[in-house]
Amino acid sequence: MNDRRGWIATRVRLGWGSLAVGIAVIIAGVIAEMTITSSPYNLRIITGFGIMVTGVGVGVLVRYRAALRDELSARRLTAEERDERTMLIRMRAGNRAFWTSAALVYAGLMWSSSAANNGLPEPAGDALWYFLATATLVPFAVYIGSMLVDERAN
Amino acid sequence: MNNRLAELRSARDWTQQELADRVEVSRQTIISLEGGRYNPSILLAFRLARLFDARIEDVFLYVEGD
Repeated sequence: MNDRRGWIATRVRLGWGSLAVGIAVIIAGVIAEMTITSSPYNLRIITGFGIMVTGVGVGVLVRYRAALRDELSARRLTAEERDERTMLIRMRAGNRAFWTSAALVYAGLMWSSSAANNGLPEPAGDALWYFLATATLVPFAVYIGSMLVDERAN
Repeated sequence: MNNRLAELRSARDWTQQELADRVEVSRQTIISLEGGRYNPSILLAFRLARLFDARIEDVFLYVEGD
């Protein structure tokens, strides 16, 4: 097995692993929902997480499994994944997303510190949730946007 | 940086995908290289030059101020 095939085979194994873990988590979630009735938390989140992991596994398998059978597909897939231009674009996007994330977390920390000294209102409830959602989604949007812009420019 | 990739590729009657397959990069990278929008790493520049049996400076043309 050459290096290329070995690299794809590793990804296929990761795909099967994600699929197995995802299904196990879904089953655990369903069992937990049926058996634990007194929990104050919504246990459906476990099933949801399992579905997400299963989805990742299926996506990986769809992408890489066909390439194991066909040498040209394997060659093109690895070329695409290891392509230096693509890696450069991803690196730049990751860097921008990182700094965006750091800036948002820093702003949240400053707000929280100030609130502790009665300078600003305490972030609580919905406001805190919206802030955390923003701090999660904005870096992601920056990453995707940066990739799209750099794909066109380079 | 200018380059003669499109010219050298056409002379061998290769498609962009064929050239991409030979140097193991994506077709989009070849498109960007030929369009002068992307400057390759030294390793890719060597691979391309060797593939065309040429020197790097015969394939990639450095312009002062680049």
